[in-house]
Amino acid sequence: MKAILWRALIRYQLHHRWQLALSILGVALGVAVVVAVDLANDGARRAYTDAAHTITGRTTHQLIGGPQGLDENLYRHLRVELAMRASAPVVEAYGRLPEHATTRVRMLGVDPFAEAPFRDYTRAGGGNNILPRLVGTADSVIITAATAQRLGIRVNDSVTLETGGQQRRLTLIGLLELEDPLIEQALDDVFIVDVATAQDVLGRPGYLSRIDLIIDDDTALLQRLRAWLPAGASLLPAQSRILNLTQMTRAFELNLQALSLLALVVGMFLIYNAMTFSVVQRRGVFGSLRALGVTRRELFMMIIAEALAIGAAGIVLGLVLGVGLAQGLLQIVARTINDLYYAVVAPDFSLSALPLLKAGALGIAATVLAALVPAREAISTPPRTVLLRSFSETRLRSRLPWLAAIGVSSAVLGVAVSTWPSTSLTLSYTGIFLFICGYALLLPAATVLLMRVLKRLAAWFGLVGRMAARGVAISLSRTATAIAALTVAVAVAVGVGIMIDSFRGSVDAWLGNILPADVYVSPAALSGGDLKPEVVRQLSVLPGVLEASSGKHVFIESERGITDLFILQPVPRSLAAIRLKQGTPAQTWPAFLDGGAAIVSESYAFRHGVTLGDVIELRSERGPQTFPVAGIYYDYGSDQGVVTISRRTYARYWDDTGVGSMGLYLAPDVEREAFMADLRESFESAQSLQIRSNRKIHEAALEIFDRTFTITEVLRLLAILVAFIGILSALAAMQLERARELAVLRCLGLTPRQLWGLVIAECGLTGLAAGLFAIPLGLALGYALIEIIHPRAFGWTMNLTVDGGLLLQALMLAIVAALLAGLYPAWRVARALPAAVLREE
Amino acid sequence: MRRWLTGLLLAIALLSAVWYAEWALREKPAAVSVGSVLGGGDTAGYARVLGPREFSFPADHGPHPDYRQEWWYYTGNLTGEDGRHFGFQLTFFRFALTPKPRPGDSAWSTNQIYMAHFALTDVAARRFYHAERFSRNALGLAGAQAMPFRVWLEDWSVTGDPNATWPLQLRAVDGDLVLDLRLTNLKPPLLQGERGYSRKGQSEGNASYYYSLTRMPAEGTLKIADETLQVSGAAWMDREWSTSVLEEGQAGWDWFALQLADGRDLMFYRLRRRDGSLDPHSSGVIVAADGTSRSLPSDAIGFEVLDHWRSPATGTRYPARWRVTIPSEQLRLEIAPRLAEQELDGSLRYWEGTVKVSGQSAQQAITGHGYVELVGYGDQR
Repeated sequence: MKAILWRALIRYQLHHRWQLALSILGVALGVAVVVAVDLANDGARRAYTDAAHTITGRTTHQLIGGPQGLDENLYRHLRVELAMRASAPVVEAYGRLPEHATTRVRMLGVDPFAEAPFRDYTRAGGGNNILPRLVGTADSVIITAATAQRLGIRVNDSVTLETGGQQRRLTLIGLLELEDPLIEQALDDVFIVDVATAQDVLGRPGYLSRIDLIIDDDTALLQRLRAWLPAGASLLPAQSRILNLTQMTRAFELNLQALSLLALVVGMFLIYNAMTFSVVQRRGVFGSLRALGVTRRELFMMIIAEALAIGAAGIVLGLVLGVGLAQGLLQIVARTINDLYYAVVAPDFSLSALPLLKAGALGIAATVLAALVPAREAISTPPRTVLLRSFSETRLRSRLPWLAAIGVSSAVLGVAVSTWPSTSLTLSYTGIFLFICGYALLLPAATVLLMRVLKRLAAWFGLVGRMAARGVAISLSRTATAIAALTVAVAVAVGVGIMIDSFRGSVDAWLGNILPADVYVSPAALSGGDLKPEVVRQLSVLPGVLEASSGKHVFIESERGITDLFILQPVPRSLAAIRLKQGTPAQTWPAFLDGGAAIVSESYAFRHGVTLGDVIELRSERGPQTFPVAGIYYDYGSDQGVVTISRRTYARYWDDTGVGSMGLYLAPDVEREAFMADLRESFESAQSLQIRSNRKIHEAALEIFDRTFTITEVLRLLAILVAFIGILSALAAMQLERARELAVLRCLGLTPRQLWGLVIAECGLTGLAAGLFAIPLGLALGYALIEIIHPRAFGWTMNLTVDGGLLLQALMLAIVAALLAGLYPAWRVARALPAAVLREE
Repeated sequence: MRRWLTGLLLAIALLSAVWYAEWALREKPAAVSVGSVLGGGDTAGYARVLGPREFSFPADHGPHPDYRQEWWYYTGNLTGEDGRHFGFQLTFFRFALTPKPRPGDSAWSTNQIYMAHFALTDVAARRFYHAERFSRNALGLAGAQAMPFRVWLEDWSVTGDPNATWPLQLRAVDGDLVLDLRLTNLKPPLLQGERGYSRKGQSEGNASYYYSLTRMPAEGTLKIADETLQVSGAAWMDREWSTSVLEEGQAGWDWFALQLADGRDLMFYRLRRRDGSLDPHSSGVIVAADGTSRSLPSDAIGFEVLDHWRSPATGTRYPARWRVTIPSEQLRLEIAPRLAEQELDGSLRYWEGTVKVSGQSAQQAITGHGYVELVGYGDQR
């Protein structure tokens, strides 16, 4: 008996191979997107943490200073007087290789004799013998064999390293032959030099970036060290420093995950659709089986098993697809993290089990969940009625009010959850998902209403038009899920589109404000560091320059994390460019300029729960200092937030006089391009500089903005692709199932052409419905992303802008997708011989 | 069948693991071969030891950075208040990485690096401790100076009196091992070889400037773990600087520094050739209690190895007991390590340890303490 049942199921599926294939593909795509995003997130994060861990090595604590670094004499004191053997000095900086245009490198200045307990590369082939040679040979460098090969340089070649706009020629004296691929990768583009060389390259004798320490659970030693520390220095656990950095990307990763889950939700609609459809199609079979004595339980289990089999096939395919997709996404994610957060060096794709298991489990859960309703459907109807074709339509009709009621409650609950006063992103996304589901449940009822309206309009197209509109409404049990899937996918496209547009608009407006100077000068890109003092001096007194502002970013690190501190020496126009969200110019600026107060960016205020009048504490060179917050300003430059203080305030607590960039305000009669060309020429020998007009920076910033949203765009397209597959499978199945009905219509006198028109019109109307329904949901999603998700993820507020074109695009997208989906069935139906079709029954 | 196959595979895996472990433990090559450090290499640009020179103290207690390598070699035998016997070694090596000073503005810039070895033999407990450190001659991390005398690497140091050089304070710490000694001097510096010019090979320049302080009474404290002991005894210092010592065909040396109970000190070294024969540049010297010395050519010393010892840690085989006869001095001595395991296995691998001396001097029984250094054994290169 059992075997026969199984055979019946398998037969059915084999007879509907394309339908089976499409449902498998639907699940597969959903799972693929989830797994790909997860793997890409994981990969990018691991690329960073692996590198960080290799460079950190067995370091447990790091002694760090302020913007000026540490005095090297601290190291001697630590090592000789305090006999702290497990200590290693590090001078670290990022730079670039002018001869290898885009390569960004990390210079790691170490004392080869102090390294061995800390970092494993010292045990590399020849490592023991080459490293000490760094000490004796001025301007010598060691890199990995792989890096050398990529850069095309060989031992004894020289290579120019530029940091802080200063160049120095280094000689490659040896290669690290590494066996461990992890270390090899972590040391990609790392220039290992002696401390002395590093100081010479930076032009900063006496400077150490940090001192690495190994202190294993020795609290007494820790206390002794803390007591000894000078005011400007701080002793931090090494692991928490890495964690601080990786936590910056948490919101970013969560947003990607949420988007990928949307793709799975759409995929869930697909499997629901496919299962419902296959159940509906087999009403007769099921009815007969029940009449023959198959129990409800047996039938239920078999349908679930069938769904699981389809789901499993989809998941396997999805995992394979996902792994492939992840390799592409990884590069995009890594580049985005690079642009926004920290340097991720060339991530290598590697597979990890957890994301696969997670996506697999999600896929199974989604499949079972989606199959539950149709399976219940199949068993809850009495055998006799199951045989009636119209039964499910009638029942769905009668349930429409219920569905709508559940939909409304779910949507309301969704709104309540997502706007619940909390900062939890997960909660917000849960609310949004609930809202989407509620909205989807409302769609059958909405479709009926819409078709009533459309029927009137369609009457203009004659009989076929009227028939099409009714057809959509009448076969609701089959169209509803297709419409829902397409609606959700298109709505996501609209919502994300609105979010990106609004975001871009706000950033664009902000950039237009925040760059009041005509020309900005900083050390060459990637080379970092400060402008040379003589360059600063000369720039401010150049003929044609009315006034000049200066700024510098420093990163202040403490147990509580990293603070991006911006030091501004403003001119009146630079203050006018800062738009205050809280605080008034009359009160804020005097406090900022002379009162030792700070202003903080919107996202900083959000992240740290700071409002006007609060104080923030920063670790200065004179120990911890507090700064009152005199204003909160709009800033889209960093989602981690920025604290800005005036140069005067900075000078009170830090001895650093460095200037990172200058803004030059030109006299009205000065021609900018010519001025910049002159500037480039006259400073060529002094320092390698980046000289850009405000317009150029504006454009460059927007370019980065667009690049960072590539990943979002890709995910958006993937969700649409999943929906497209869904609509294709749903509509095609539906139309093909109607073959007999259509054959009857042929017999009643409809021409093939008319029949073709009918099918296409029905599909078009389905698409139109989905497109129309998607617009309000898309707007709501866009609103939710801007008003709920963004403030909670990044602390940014922005203006909602809706582009009519985007909405029209979405509508067209839905219609075109539906029409495309209808082409094949329409062609088949129109070609089929009615007699043959009718005989088949 | 399946089970049988699994068993076979397991057995093969197990056997290969055992074989691998044995092979790995058999004979570890030393990280740096003695020959590569002290032999030829590129000597261009360094000062060379080409003939006798005038020694001048205290200036020559300080470093000679123009030569490629140099060392301050303190060894000694100590007796604790409870009668326990200890041997100690504290050595500072200086190496020039390049002939010329390294240019640059950084305070870390230097072409001189220091290596130091600290070893202690606790004979009664049959324990041997040794540690190695490296640092550069910069920023006060390591270095040497003549006046006031000081040679140090981090917190290992030998420091002279600011005005008079003597006494010296020797101090070394490694974990909970602390040696703190005050050294005085009984005999004038002994200039080895030809007025301090010590030839080590046939080719010109394969030589060193070499002097020794053969008897320095020592007293101070020794801390091992929780135990602090008053100790006293005698130390020996060897000072050598050169640019190249060993030459092609030379494998290493055996060096003996013996302090006899009658006040005489005996030093001799045997340069070994790779073919096993004795290099004719080997030599020795005997210092009377009053500080006068007589040199001993290599053929004046009868030498016989009585025993060998294989290091379980490195697999290297060292000679371990000797009979030495010097007819011209009417000496017949037997020299035996107080502990077999006194092998230092760091960047350089060698055996250096305290030995016990017994025998006859002109038919009278005589005893003594000493230190022996065995270099270049088990070296593949």
